Amino acid sequence: MPPTTKIFKEDILFHEFNATETDYNQRGYHLEVALEVNQVRKFAQKAYDHGFYLVFVTGFHVLPEETEEGTTSGLNGVYQFARYDRLYRIKGHVSVPEDMSLPSICDIYQGANWHERETRDLYGVNFDGHPNLKPLLLSDEDQDFHPLLKEEENLKSLKEVSWSAEVPDSAEADEKDASE
Amino acid sequence: MLESDFQERNRFFLNMGPQHPSTHGVLLIVLEMSGEYVLDPQPVLGFVHRMHEKMAESRPCVGFMPNTARMDYVCALPYNHGYVSLIERKAGIEVPKRAEYIRVITSELNRVASHLLWLGAYLLDLGAFTPILYGFDDREHILDILEDITGSRLTYCYYRFGGVSRDIDDKFVASTRAFIKRLRERFVIYEKLVTKNIIFIKRTENIGVVSPDMALRYGMTGPNLRGSGIAYDVRKNEPYSVYPEFDFEIPVGSQGDCLDRYMVRIREMEQSLRIIEQALDRLPEGPVRAKVPKNIKLSPGDCNFAVEAARGELSYYLVGDGTSTPYRLKVRVPSYSNLSCLPELGRGILLPDLVSILGSFDLVIPEMDR
Repeated sequence: MPPTTKIFKEDILFHEFNATETDYNQRGYHLEVALEVNQVRKFAQKAYDHGFYLVFVTGFHVLPEETEEGTTSGLNGVYQFARYDRLYRIKGHVSVPEDMSLPSICDIYQGANWHERETRDLYGVNFDGHPNLKPLLLSDEDQDFHPLLKEEENLKSLKEVSWSAEVPDSAEADEKDASE
Repeated sequence: MLESDFQERNRFFLNMGPQHPSTHGVLLIVLEMSGEYVLDPQPVLGFVHRMHEKMAESRPCVGFMPNTARMDYVCALPYNHGYVSLIERKAGIEVPKRAEYIRVITSELNRVASHLLWLGAYLLDLGAFTPILYGFDDREHILDILEDITGSRLTYCYYRFGGVSRDIDDKFVASTRAFIKRLRERFVIYEKLVTKNIIFIKRTENIGVVSPDMALRYGMTGPNLRGSGIAYDVRKNEPYSVYPEFDFEIPVGSQGDCLDRYMVRIREMEQSLRIIEQALDRLPEGPVRAKVPKNIKLSPGDCNFAVEAARGELSYYLVGDGTSTPYRLKVRVPSYSNLSCLPELGRGILLPDLVSILGSFDLVIPEMDR
């Protein structure tokens, strides 16, 4: 059985990025990498050079935040890579800037082509340098309709949906409706 | 010059699908052709897009269970398996051993059923009519076995958070053992009928060669990847459920052509039978469902779970927000990445070879479109 823990400590592949080791048994991936927009392509290239394959590209929508550089768009790009030869799964995430565009990685991973088109369909994120950013899953008439964007009242802040968020104690309520 | 002139004048577009028998569903491939040669095949997806991911965001996580079976309807139980395991990982639910064994047995039966359907359909694409009758005959036995315990024949919703919905009985064990014996005898027939058939070999050998680097660039997984010689199987590489307790091999090809992908699936069925046999022999006693809260709260944070479906790696990626409804659920399906290499793979080949490649990829369209 391949080793499931302590991979990152021996492996300094991603030391130049803001990477944190995570508990695989809890989260299902080993490494979380917080990326800046200008690091995305470098990160993908590094992953490709070291034999990772692309699992998926997607997004998720949270409440926009005020930062020093301005307001974020609230959208996040998520990239997941894994390896064929051993158990090693990494997740990269990047905050989409206000111009709603991310650099395309489909010249590095050709498989990203469809994943990026899908992300544009569902979230309206543009991928700079993509050769064919036409609707894939949705029809041409739905160019400007992005079904996975949440409505204002359903949005939560990034903090509320990350592991560090505090959970209200609901153990008692759970016990009440425990079933056979 | 003359030749290219001729090519230029003979250039035309051909719509293969969405009502074409060898696309196995509503898939359109726009082909730029020159005579009988394909210059540029571009798949057009989305005809059966139902936005499952949005549905997941709009109901408590238990309500999404039936949806999982409606993506890959040919091999639905691994989709059940991935989803329940994801929620169990997120909510920290322990599953009784017997339930995990039953999950593995039924998932593997479903995998065999899926490969049998593919076998018949692929050979039908290549012009052989008989194998589909044999394949469906065998598959029917599996559907009957699974119908007895799950209640459905195709879109199963059998697994539950913390176990399975009902226990298997002696009848199930006996009929499964009888089926294993039967299928092993049938493999001999398949080998005589198909594997050594000269026409079949001519249609598949050295056709649609996927190199390991190409597979990596497109994120291919499953038998399509293993045909290229990479022994990557989630059941071995990222062990889940009780798979580490069984002794089985990962068949791989060498060339990466259609014949290799065919051989990998045939040998994989034998391995699945081995797993089922071992699981039946060692089936532990005990409950088949753990006590879980009716209303499962998904704690904040993200979580991933990958399983090996019949077509490759299926990954569920969940973001929770403390309520019982997922904040975001991404489903990574294998056929989607597998097919995305077609524009590169299908450039400059003959149209009949494209049909052979599409068949060897074992596509399920509702799975790609989600």
